[in-house]
Amino acid sequence: MNALRGLKVLVVEDEGSVALLIEDMLQELGCEVVASVARLNPACEIAAFADLDLALLDVNLAGTLVFPVARILQERRVSFVFSTGYGASGLPDEFRNHVTVSKPFSIEDLARAIAAARLDPGEPYSPKKA
Amino acid sequence: MSNVGELPVANRRLTEFEALVAAAPSVLDAIPGAVYLCDHEGCLVRYNEQAATLWGRTPRLNDPKERFCGSHRLFLLDGTPLDHADCPMADAVRNGTDTCNTEVVVERPDGSRLIALVNIRALKDHRGQIQGAINCFQDVSAYKAMERQVLRQAQDLEDFFENSAVGLHIVNCEGTIVRANKAELELLGYTAEEYIGRQIREFHVDAAVIGDILHRLSRGEKLDRRAARLRAKDGSIKHVLVTSSSRIEDGKFVNTRCITTDMTNLHEAENRRRESEERLAATYEAATIGIAEADASGHLLRVNDALCKMLGRSREELLTMTFFDYTDPADRAEDAALYARQTTGEIDSYVIRKRARRADGSTAYLDVYSSSVRDSTRRFRHGVRVLQDVTEAKRAEDRLRESERHMRELLEALPAAVYTTDAAGRITFHNKAAVEMAGRVPCEGDEWCVTWRLYRPDGSPLPHEECPMAIALKEDRPVRGAEAIAERPDGTRVPFIPYPTPLHDTDGKLIGAINMLVDITERKQAESRQRTLIDELNHRVKNTLATVQSLAAQTARHADGLQDFVRRFEARLLALAKAHDLLTKRHWEDAPLDTLVQEVVAPFAGEGMGRLQMDGPPVHLNARTALNLAMALNELATNAAKYGSLSCETGALSVKWHLGEQAGATKLELAWEERNGPIVKLPVRRGFGTNLIERCIGRDMNGELEMAYDPQGLRCRIAIPAVGPRRV
Repeated sequence: MNALRGLKVLVVEDEGSVALLIEDMLQELGCEVVASVARLNPACEIAAFADLDLALLDVNLAGTLVFPVARILQERRVSFVFSTGYGASGLPDEFRNHVTVSKPFSIEDLARAIAAARLDPGEPYSPKKA
Repeated sequence: MSNVGELPVANRRLTEFEALVAAAPSVLDAIPGAVYLCDHEGCLVRYNEQAATLWGRTPRLNDPKERFCGSHRLFLLDGTPLDHADCPMADAVRNGTDTCNTEVVVERPDGSRLIALVNIRALKDHRGQIQGAINCFQDVSAYKAMERQVLRQAQDLEDFFENSAVGLHIVNCEGTIVRANKAELELLGYTAEEYIGRQIREFHVDAAVIGDILHRLSRGEKLDRRAARLRAKDGSIKHVLVTSSSRIEDGKFVNTRCITTDMTNLHEAENRRRESEERLAATYEAATIGIAEADASGHLLRVNDALCKMLGRSREELLTMTFFDYTDPADRAEDAALYARQTTGEIDSYVIRKRARRADGSTAYLDVYSSSVRDSTRRFRHGVRVLQDVTEAKRAEDRLRESERHMRELLEALPAAVYTTDAAGRITFHNKAAVEMAGRVPCEGDEWCVTWRLYRPDGSPLPHEECPMAIALKEDRPVRGAEAIAERPDGTRVPFIPYPTPLHDTDGKLIGAINMLVDITERKQAESRQRTLIDELNHRVKNTLATVQSLAAQTARHADGLQDFVRRFEARLLALAKAHDLLTKRHWEDAPLDTLVQEVVAPFAGEGMGRLQMDGPPVHLNARTALNLAMALNELATNAAKYGSLSCETGALSVKWHLGEQAGATKLELAWEERNGPIVKLPVRRGFGTNLIERCIGRDMNGELEMAYDPQGLRCRIAIPAVGPRRV
């Protein structure tokens, strides 16, 4: 758990109550929640400019997909974890193999996912040759 | 003459020569014929006028140059010149040879010739010494000419007899063949030796016939072309006609001349013709098809039984009719026009299907094959019409056509696209639904499919010759379970399932195929909807579980003991469930705000009337707003029930809302006002409930929340941006 201490985390989660839980979990893991937002636009802004170590991204934001945020983070080499009710099947090809935590999840699930994302921040996506 | 004067002759008997020499010239001239005398040396000593006339000259007597004959020149009958010294007279003078009836040709000085019949006698004295010769000759030219003509005629007759093309023979009074010509011998194949000299009876097949012939001939009757049968050498029978007449001399039958005309070939031809005619007649009557002969105007000349039966009319009746009379008026003109062209020779024959009226008024369908019999100059003699009753076939055909029409109507009416092709894949039929589905009318020569363009389910182009219909035809098997996408010329696409099925004739031969294209757009959409729904459901369940997890964790964190946790957690879970219930009723599309308020808040207000006042226009909440608002209202109501106006019996609650404009955007504004409850105090600490409300309204809904802790009662104002008219 100590490995995660002090990590500056962005939470993107459209459901307030779930966001509350996630924030609690992160705080328990020693992380600092830099921002918790429900919408794409503020999420993009924070992803682009805030000082971040990690982001937890809810895939579906009231019908809008979170991937633009993921791309910004990828550009910035900031690790991120997708959280989704759809499972990995809801991800497009470019993020097919990215670290995902499936809702609902325990604090241990979250810690493992963050650790995995930190170890493998992921290369910027390049389509395989057709 | 000097000798006559020298010798006394009174007592001496004169020799013939001396007597002739001594005879007066008148004596010689009196002889009817030409006469001359030569002495023993051949000199002419006497001749009469007739001799001079025949010679055409008067030779001098006792001239040594005029010897043996007084003629100018002599020839044999064959034209060979005959020297005077070699003539019969010279022979008589030198050798004493007499000549009797010998003919020589005498040429006169003018070149004219005559044939002389010569008789010569040598004249001898008493001792037998040749003293001279006398020649009596006469002109036989006319006789000879006649004789030559007779001979020539006889030869001609002989030649005619012998070389005649018809057989000739002569039978004598005993019935024996005495002559027969070449033609007769050739006809029967005998040699002359085998035929001539035999009894004519032997060669006749019918004894009675030759008996009769001979009997008649013996009575002098003539036979003209009497039929008889002769037996040839090879055993064959020759059919002949005998023309014969008898030669009767002095009332006595001498012989009979017969002309034998060979009729065998003619007889055989006649037999063949009769046989063929009999066969034809038999066929004509026994035929199951109708046969009729008609003249140029269509009058029936001959009809067979089959035709009578076909038309239900007697032969007698038909023979008074034209074939137009029984033809249905609707078909009469066409038949008449064609028959007219046939009789004039414009066409040789024609075929027509026409309706005919039977005697009972019923209609028969006849297939007529009309042709002509023409003479050697190609002139029309009569029409031959072969008729077949096709009424049954026509009915079957009509039934088939009717059933085909029925089938087509059925196919036309089908709501599915249906088309057919021939065995080569060319489109032969398509219904309206096919045109609608393809978005086009198939063009002539289109093959395999009515569609414009085809794609596989994965979107790759599918060439028409590889489409399921093409496979069904090429492999002669129905294809099932295939799926394809048709593109219309306007670019729209229709997913469909084809059902191509090969069609066979009664012999099992592939004759084409039928295909039905079932539009599965709706099914595809339904499938897609279902997939989305399942995904969505999964997502919601997972999110809901996450929400429940959060509520449990947060409630636990802020609870005053287990009982408090259970009560608060239960209330939050129920609020969530009520929002879900409302949304489920409307297929998660929306939930009415008034019902939501009623469902969530009313239980806290109790059954008493008047404590809860609700007012506002109908507003539809989407799923997200409904859930968040339900959570928020639950927290407010829970708080009111524990600390606010709903905690005592006098308290009242008013929930009012309206849609209002604010900075150009429509917002739902909802006012929560509590009255007549206990005096409100500012909360000591900010609870989870307030926190949750703020999260739900501010963070999640991008809304505004104002809480006023008025001592008279809590007031709360919620503003949420609208997403559409009356939709939040």
